[in-house]
Amino acid sequence: MPGEVIQVKRHEKLGFLERLYVPMIVQGLAVTAGHFFRNLRGFITGKNRTDFVIQYPDERVDYPDAFRGMPVLVQLDNGQPRCVACGLCEFACPTDCISIVPGEIEGARIERYPEAFDIDMSRCMFCGLCEEACPEEAIVMSREFEISSYDRQTLNYDKERLLVPETLLKRRLEFLRGEYDRVHAGGETRS
Amino acid sequence: MTPLMHGFVWGLVIATVLVTIAVLSIWFERKFSARMQSRLGPTLVGPAGILQLVADALKMMQKEDLIPEKADSILFRLAPPFTVLFTLSVAAVIPFSENVLAADLDIGVLFMLAVGGLVVFPVWIAGWSSNNKYALLGAMRAVAQGIAYEIPLVLSAMVPVVLAQSMRFSDIISVQAETHWFVIWPLGPGLIAFVIFFICSLAEANRIPFDIPEAESELVAGVTTEYAGMRFGLLQMAEYLHTLIASAVAAAIFFGGWDGPFAPGLHWMVLKTLALFFTIFWIRWSLVRFRSDQLMALCWKYLLPLSLLLVMVAALFVHYCGVGA
Repeated sequence: MPGEVIQVKRHEKLGFLERLYVPMIVQGLAVTAGHFFRNLRGFITGKNRTDFVIQYPDERVDYPDAFRGMPVLVQLDNGQPRCVACGLCEFACPTDCISIVPGEIEGARIERYPEAFDIDMSRCMFCGLCEEACPEEAIVMSREFEISSYDRQTLNYDKERLLVPETLLKRRLEFLRGEYDRVHAGGETRS
Repeated sequence: MTPLMHGFVWGLVIATVLVTIAVLSIWFERKFSARMQSRLGPTLVGPAGILQLVADALKMMQKEDLIPEKADSILFRLAPPFTVLFTLSVAAVIPFSENVLAADLDIGVLFMLAVGGLVVFPVWIAGWSSNNKYALLGAMRAVAQGIAYEIPLVLSAMVPVVLAQSMRFSDIISVQAETHWFVIWPLGPGLIAFVIFFICSLAEANRIPFDIPEAESELVAGVTTEYAGMRFGLLQMAEYLHTLIASAVAAAIFFGGWDGPFAPGLHWMVLKTLALFFTIFWIRWSLVRFRSDQLMALCWKYLLPLSLLLVMVAALFVHYCGVGA
């Protein structure tokens, strides 16, 4: 809250017991022993376990919607990207990892679409500025982040690898609408 | 059985059991610290991860036997086995019960202090022969610390000797069995001497909070920096053995050794040793490392005068109240 200053009381001067050192050692030992027995009870009875370790490759958590993984392109039901190749994300990108080749669809009204849309994941830092810049909700941050590879070339993602069906990105899209106070823009630009 | 054969057989048995306990304690420590820190510890290899030890040992043995080009290769090879040898030699004089002991020397405590004090030599040799600045700095600290803490260690070990009027371990324990454990009576000197002995043993074994010689945040791994594979394993094992044997000595000269009701003496000695041993783990995972100058200040300014005073108090106690009393 702006305008409110919280006075922090710092414990600067050591008291007599603290300077004696030994009582503080005993206190420290009591803390670790407390943790030890609490955890031991938890492991034996299986109830009220206080360990919060996740055995990562075997167990995973459901990452929150605010999690920013690698950026992906939203794929519409017709299989096409929602992207209109406006180039705002390319412009917003601090690491210049996005490169777009725009194309045009001749019709009643001329529509733009990305002929090529490449993201170099070896340069991307998952900042999410492209997502914020996008007026079409066409590029969003997914939950995918385990993309390491032995070959640097495979980190250059093209349009086909970036496309993810809209249904899979629903949670993130809804989160974004709340986050940026946006009106739903997708779906109206394409006939 | 001749005394020589008796000593040889029991020495072999005791050494084997001690090394086994030291190795098993690595697993125990990992589980123990995991419980303290709300972690799981090793879980994958065998039931509750107990075979992790085997996996680690296999890994160490398979590793390439690296010796740095600029290292003094003979000394470099000699140091780790000698560290274990000197550490393990101390166990020869520790009685685990009336019969389970390798050598009942009449200068048992002196032997323990003298051979235990030798450990700084292989540690220094390891650091020097590595030809590595971190190893050398670690070895310098280890030697400075080892020599400094040797003095209060000797003086605090003298308190039970003075009280029992004997340097023989079995005599010290018999006196305690007849009267009281020295940690309880005489009130004060025994307990404080034990605390000093315990602190100095931690410092001698380079255990946290006195692990300044291998302070990994500043010295990579101290003396063990250049060691790989089984040689590194030996140096690590010497550290665990040192702690275990120091616990056994403390249990013998302060906690009445094999003295205890209901069960045969061996049970009590093992119980007391392991209790002290686990206390050392407990301390290790609770405290932080000292700074080098704090370590020296603690030794020279507090422990040394205090332990000198304790020896005098113990002598006066024996003079006015008699042995044990």
